Amino acid sequence: MKKQIKYIICLSLGVGMLSSSCNKELLSPVPQTSVSDATAFDTPARVANQVNSMYQAFKSGNFYGGRAQIAGDIIGEEFLNETTNLVTGADVWNLNPTGTSTNFVKNMWAQAYYAINICNLFIDGMAAKGSSVVGTTLANNYIGEARLIRATIYLKLLQHYARPYADGNGSKPGLPLRLTGIKESGASALARSTVAEVYTQILNDLNFAETNLPLNYASAILNTTRAHRNTAIALKSRVYLAMQNYPAAVTEATKIVPQATAPFSATTGVAHALQANIINVFRTPYTTTESILSMPMTSTAGDNPGTQNQLGFYFAKSTGNGEFSLNPVGIIGNAGWLVTDARRGFNAVVSGKPYLNLKYNGGTPFTDYAPVIRYAEVMLTLAEALARTNAGVNVKALALLNAVRQRSDALTILAPATQTDLINAILLERRIELLGEGMRNFDLMRLLQTIPAKGTAPAKSSADAGYIWPISADEMSLNPLMTDN
Amino acid sequence: MRKLFLLLMGIVVLAQVALAQRTISGTVTDENGNPLPNVSVVVRGTTTGTITNEEGKYSLTLPGNAKALVFSSINKSPVERQIGTASSIDALLKDEDKSLQEVVVTGYGTQKKKDLTGNIASVKGAAIANTPVQSFEQALAGRATGVQITVPSGVLNAPPVFRIRGTNSISLSSQPLIIVDGVPVASGDFSATSAAGNALASINPNDIETIDIAKDAAATAIYGSRAANGVVFITTKRGKSGKARVSYNGSVSWTSVYGVPEVLNAQQYTDFKNMAAANNPNVNSTNPAGAGYTKFATATDANGNLIDTRWADIVYRQGLSQDHNLNVSGGNDNTTYYFSVGYSDQEGIQRKNDFTRKNILFNVDSRINKVLTIGGKISYSNEMNLQSLGSGSLSGEAFATNGAGRTVFNTSPNVAPYKNDGTYNIENGTSFNSNTIGRMNNSVTVGFYNPVPQLDLNRSNSESNHIQSFTYLQLKPLSWITLKSLYAIDYLFVDNEIFQTPVHGDGATLNGNASSTLGKNKRWTWSNTAQFDYIFNSAHTVSALVGNEQDRRTGIGFGLNRQNLSDPAFNIIQAGFVTPNTAGLGYGENYLLSSFGRINYDYKKKYYFSGNIRNDQYSAFADKASTFWGASAGWEIAKESFWENSGLGNVINQFKLRGSYGKVGNTSGIGDYGIYSTYGSGLYGGLPTLLFNFAGNPNLQWETSSKIDVGVNIGLFNDRLRIEATRYYNDIKDLILNVPQSPSAGVPNNIPSNVGSMYNKGWEFSIAGTPIQTKDFSWNSTLNITTNKNEVTALAPGLTEILTATSLETVSRSAVGFPLGSLYLVRNGGVDPATGRRIVLNKAGQPVLYQYVVPAGQFQWTNPDGTQYKENGVAVGITQAKDGVMYGNTTPKIYGGFDNSFRYKSFDLNVLLTYQFGYFVYYGSNAGLHDMRFWNNHVDVLTAWSKPGDVSTVPKPVYGDNVSNGSGLPMSYNAFKVIL
Repeated sequence: MKKQIKYIICLSLGVGMLSSSCNKELLSPVPQTSVSDATAFDTPARVANQVNSMYQAFKSGNFYGGRAQIAGDIIGEEFLNETTNLVTGADVWNLNPTGTSTNFVKNMWAQAYYAINICNLFIDGMAAKGSSVVGTTLANNYIGEARLIRATIYLKLLQHYARPYADGNGSKPGLPLRLTGIKESGASALARSTVAEVYTQILNDLNFAETNLPLNYASAILNTTRAHRNTAIALKSRVYLAMQNYPAAVTEATKIVPQATAPFSATTGVAHALQANIINVFRTPYTTTESILSMPMTSTAGDNPGTQNQLGFYFAKSTGNGEFSLNPVGIIGNAGWLVTDARRGFNAVVSGKPYLNLKYNGGTPFTDYAPVIRYAEVMLTLAEALARTNAGVNVKALALLNAVRQRSDALTILAPATQTDLINAILLERRIELLGEGMRNFDLMRLLQTIPAKGTAPAKSSADAGYIWPISADEMSLNPLMTDN
Repeated sequence: MRKLFLLLMGIVVLAQVALAQRTISGTVTDENGNPLPNVSVVVRGTTTGTITNEEGKYSLTLPGNAKALVFSSINKSPVERQIGTASSIDALLKDEDKSLQEVVVTGYGTQKKKDLTGNIASVKGAAIANTPVQSFEQALAGRATGVQITVPSGVLNAPPVFRIRGTNSISLSSQPLIIVDGVPVASGDFSATSAAGNALASINPNDIETIDIAKDAAATAIYGSRAANGVVFITTKRGKSGKARVSYNGSVSWTSVYGVPEVLNAQQYTDFKNMAAANNPNVNSTNPAGAGYTKFATATDANGNLIDTRWADIVYRQGLSQDHNLNVSGGNDNTTYYFSVGYSDQEGIQRKNDFTRKNILFNVDSRINKVLTIGGKISYSNEMNLQSLGSGSLSGEAFATNGAGRTVFNTSPNVAPYKNDGTYNIENGTSFNSNTIGRMNNSVTVGFYNPVPQLDLNRSNSESNHIQSFTYLQLKPLSWITLKSLYAIDYLFVDNEIFQTPVHGDGATLNGNASSTLGKNKRWTWSNTAQFDYIFNSAHTVSALVGNEQDRRTGIGFGLNRQNLSDPAFNIIQAGFVTPNTAGLGYGENYLLSSFGRINYDYKKKYYFSGNIRNDQYSAFADKASTFWGASAGWEIAKESFWENSGLGNVINQFKLRGSYGKVGNTSGIGDYGIYSTYGSGLYGGLPTLLFNFAGNPNLQWETSSKIDVGVNIGLFNDRLRIEATRYYNDIKDLILNVPQSPSAGVPNNIPSNVGSMYNKGWEFSIAGTPIQTKDFSWNSTLNITTNKNEVTALAPGLTEILTATSLETVSRSAVGFPLGSLYLVRNGGVDPATGRRIVLNKAGQPVLYQYVVPAGQFQWTNPDGTQYKENGVAVGITQAKDGVMYGNTTPKIYGGFDNSFRYKSFDLNVLLTYQFGYFVYYGSNAGLHDMRFWNNHVDVLTAWSKPGDVSTVPKPVYGDNVSNGSGLPMSYNAFKVIL
């Protein structure tokens, strides 16, 4: 009996020890591979890494890492679909995607708004805490980047999911304008603002960015992959062109293309200028001063566009999948684009068909930088805006046009006879110069031009259904205030 | 001193009085002659009694009318002795006859099956030993009521879908909690490759003594927040005292594939595709010099014979399996052991799909003295799960280009795996642009990948090293008190190894791809329990349990991926590659801290009551703690005297009514950090990022199930015929759904929230009997039937449906008012005899005709009269979103088994028929088998419509058409009702 009592005492002690030795702290694990939202703005390094995260979301393969540019090109008449694969945009090319088309209509919408929310959360977090952590000057630089990215996303979304500004001066339904960060349920409903309201917000953001962004960064790669003052100016020239506000486009573009005659270059901030050989703009290290903003890629998984999102996968045949060939009766059929033009060097005939084979020729794992905006575009934007706001053949406009042409084709000096000829020559030059950079639908739609037929795909006038995309079916089903196109 | 004297006097007087009443004494022993303490000794028909002391002795003063003594003790058969004139009566109590008094595991203890009021089904280990399976649960189908096992694929060691009384969750797992020898263990597929790696395969089915399956709230509530899907208790074999017994059993078995679709042969394929091409005016089938020339042609092999490849013969095989088990068990009265080794080598039906298990198990129990027992288990298992080319049958693989099952019917029979020079038949070597099977004489490509080089050269293997061990210490300070402390580990280390050849297939675009990852899944549990068993006055049996438990799980994964092989001869990851990536990174931890209690009570084995309660604190929730409980009651009418005396008692020896109710929870499969909103790491051009990547829900809670169970157990002819009937109802609330936000909200994930509800209800019947029982021959037969009705009763506010995609296809839809995962399809209206076009029904049930190629002036979608189909005046097409209907349920309404075992002398024969019916299966491959692209087709396309007036199920073949077959438009054409 005594022995038993001893056991009972032992065990009671044991049980007592156990109850107290329960590892209560194990009940509150702290995530080890991620940072809680409560502490995400606690250090300058975390804030800086969040700045990079906004660009990361922006450069997703579903957005400006590939598919944003690809969508802009394959809507137009320059390319022919080779694989009839819906995953790689057969329906976008055919101008008949539905709201349930996953790979462009739904994915681009979702990724774009995700990136917007990243920017909004960042702006909110900086106001709440981050600004005091990094100091006002740096905070304003960062917020300028956030607002520039947000503006660029809205600008791209407008080109696909809303009627062009020219249709009713922006009075048509635009986009749900999300300006505050969301990380909880209950914010699904938001109605569309008008196109004009969205443009107003874009300009607000870009004006803030122009005021607050740094003039430049310490390295060429940062000058190409991070927004600085001239980036904001360049994007504003694109915005005003979309709005057909040509005087304002002249004002903005002139800030970074101030010279009356060639050579042209930016004289403040990053010294943007045309490169002697356009090939070099699209070759490693991709960071010439001509590239105002490009999305950087590395071979590390997750740091490149990912499967079936890469520009090179779509357009290159030798090193990619040749999803789209060049339309023989598109711009490459233009007789004035001489075979000796350096830009023809990007094209090649593979297996009997012409492809944009060498503009993005990195091949697997597709680390070609994806261009967002380039100095040549700003020059042509300025040329067009000048041409449209001045009677006759504007001298600077023509000088800008020839600067772009002669950089690649020294044999040709363009000499349009009339204002209309000049404008048309500039529009034609944009097709040649920006081929495969996602600007074709922008150029067609801002002018309410008919999308020409190509291959078996029909033409669509600006009045036709299918001229712009439908709204994502997910948005339609989950946002009760949303209206479809 | 005087006081002491008076006291002594008093005792003497009392003793004299007692003598007058007569005293009886004796000793109670067990079968081995050891004295038994704490045996109840009661005069029959009275409350007069005592208990035996440490030496098994008792002494009792008998009332005048005493006739007999009743001796009883826990786990012993009661004994009655006539008193007569004896002054000393000894008794020998034997252990209860286990065959009549089966014990079931109830969690932290056991209970006699006859005393159960909760619902627990039992399956003997012998029933599933020596079956050609990799894990025990594959063999459970049809063995017990309420238990549904669906083997989803022919891939070796793929975990079967294991459901108890229907599917009890939408987003979380519905897999029951598995408890092996009192320890919760890992279950599910831990492989990260195309080979399946069920963690439960580490338990050799031959080592299993019993499987007890707890189904209702009363039986499961002791496991609280993990009990909603039921609890399965596995008891492995332990030693029995006596001379060492050595036992070996081995088996050899064969498996073959069945139900392979019959596809066109080379000549049929060639002719049929040429006809389909000719039927498509947009296809150039006439001008070899023109673009897109499409012409199919047979080829001959090196010997000049027609190439006619049956791809099924190349991908599938007859698998040979062998299984060897050796065990030794024995011991003395104090120490017993069971030692077992097993080796299993199994070949799957797909070439290169193999499973090998080497396992060892050692169980030991040692009684140090009357009070102290220690023991434990050491179990180690190594499993190799081998695969080369993915089967296309595991979750997420359905539309993989290389799925082996798919290549069987999407690759042309008129091309061969090898060119006539003996090299692999691949388009133009190995360059990026030609990663398809060679076309031979056809003018277009006629398949995706050639499966043969991948079967030959690829690997997608998974190796599990699984250690499941525990040690325990048990004290019995008094016969009615048992104190136990058990510490267990369950360590599962999984090595995944993938190599994809640069020669062809998935690895070709990357010029060779290899991944090696390690998953370390570690778990420890520590439980401490105190059990009290006592019989008051020979009538009130009380059994009580209190305890606590800690359950700690950590998971770590890391690995390497390398791409772009530097030498084509290399085929391991350690060799030379150009591009390195990380792979398989993962980190998780969770902790469950619990306290629990149970009380079982019965009065004279007539009235039963039990209650269970458990408080769980779980690390994955912000509000950590919640309490779960279950209670049950039973009435054994056959023990009532009116029954026993009525003559009914001679026929019906058991008639027990029972009922239970309780609330239990589910956390299975919930993320460890779902309450946190987090920022994750990424890269922007090689620079670090911190990206908002998860919106958590700090209010996340357990899913809860309220379960009602009412039933009756009837035993006839001394249990020779046993009938059980049960009605169950399981009301599930707070289902965690990942609630989608509108995309424009920009939230990266669907936010987990406790918003859904649904129910499962049904009946369970079982009839078990022994129709024949002679000395040499016996026949045992069991029929069990389970019915199940499931209905979703609430989803998230604003969320009307949950669509579940199977890779590219979405046919599963859950919506309020319908069973979970119903098929959501456009109805097939057959084939129009006049035009050969597919007819589908719009939402309103009106027929609409489809044609793939639209000639000028015609329309894709038309009314039966040929006019363009319009809705509200607008020309539209038929879509699944607009015109789909909830076509049918996918979970069986009725399932069960009919089990017959025969024994003649020492030969056993077991015949088990299992069944599931009353549900629909979506056979996506049927769409592929009728795809009018280059894919090969089912032979029934030979009966396709060809001229006006033809009545066929297959529309006019038009090359390229993948809508009429239900690929582009999920259609009821591919849904099949399972009747039996």
